[in-house]
Amino acid sequence: MDERVTRRWVLAAGAGAGLALGGCGLFDDDPAPPPPPDPLLPLRDAALALAGTYDRAVAAQPALQARLAPIAAAHRAHAAELDRILDPPAPAPSASAAASAAPDAVGAPTVAELRAAERQAHKDAAAACRAAPADRAALVGSVAAARACHAEALR
Amino acid sequence: MSQALVAGLAAEQAAIYAYAPIGVRLTGAERAEARAAEAAHRARRDTLVLRLEQLRVTPSAAPPAYVLPYPVTDRAAALKLAGEIEDGVAATWRAALRDTEGGDRGTALAALTDAAVRATRWRRLAGVTPLTVPFPGRLG
Repeated sequence: MDERVTRRWVLAAGAGAGLALGGCGLFDDDPAPPPPPDPLLPLRDAALALAGTYDRAVAAQPALQARLAPIAAAHRAHAAELDRILDPPAPAPSASAAASAAPDAVGAPTVAELRAAERQAHKDAAAACRAAPADRAALVGSVAAARACHAEALR
Repeated sequence: MSQALVAGLAAEQAAIYAYAPIGVRLTGAERAEARAAEAAHRARRDTLVLRLEQLRVTPSAAPPAYVLPYPVTDRAAALKLAGEIEDGVAATWRAALRDTEGGDRGTALAALTDAAVRATRWRRLAGVTPLTVPFPGRLG
């Protein structure tokens, strides 16, 4: 008797467990937690942010256009190349990082500030290159070298 | 991995060779720039020789002479060749990034970056614009 009751309890417990598992199944249709962002995403975002910074500098000092526009274009080219390999694909850049149609000259950086930003950005890209898997090392290495060249070109 | 370093060593040796005819066509600050570049390539070469010894790799000896792409007859040709030499060194080291890791990756990246920065300086001295290329070391 005691034994039968016990078995019934066990069955009930089993049914309960089955229900509970079924309950879990209800959530199967929910999206899986998003995969972690690509480790190169910050590099892509920084490239776009730098490009926008150059746009503001040119807006404030149009005479710098010839000197700075190729560097802004290089940062956008870096972002585009990184976008091709990011896994998962990058979300759309934030409004502040995106190129604005009419860059605001307010808070525009000086050439010296651009140079300091490039030096820091070079360090970040160099660290990313050293940590990158083989198939990404060349692209990230070129980004790092380009940033060092930008700093040199701004001397 | 060691083949990438051997290729880098060969590029450094070729650069050292080329800076001799480049230097004689330059004067003043430009000649000093060539001397400094040559010294940097020699330092990189020495580092690589030591590293390859550590890896027990014996690279073939540098050829006694190289064929320059054109005669270096004047300042303009010297500045042009100097930029091209650095672009070539950068390309070799960029290719080496894929095949290296750890400290050797760091060596390749530093060599790529230094060559690309020197190429930027040579373009400025030659009056070439833009001074920079979007992807240093990438061919085409």
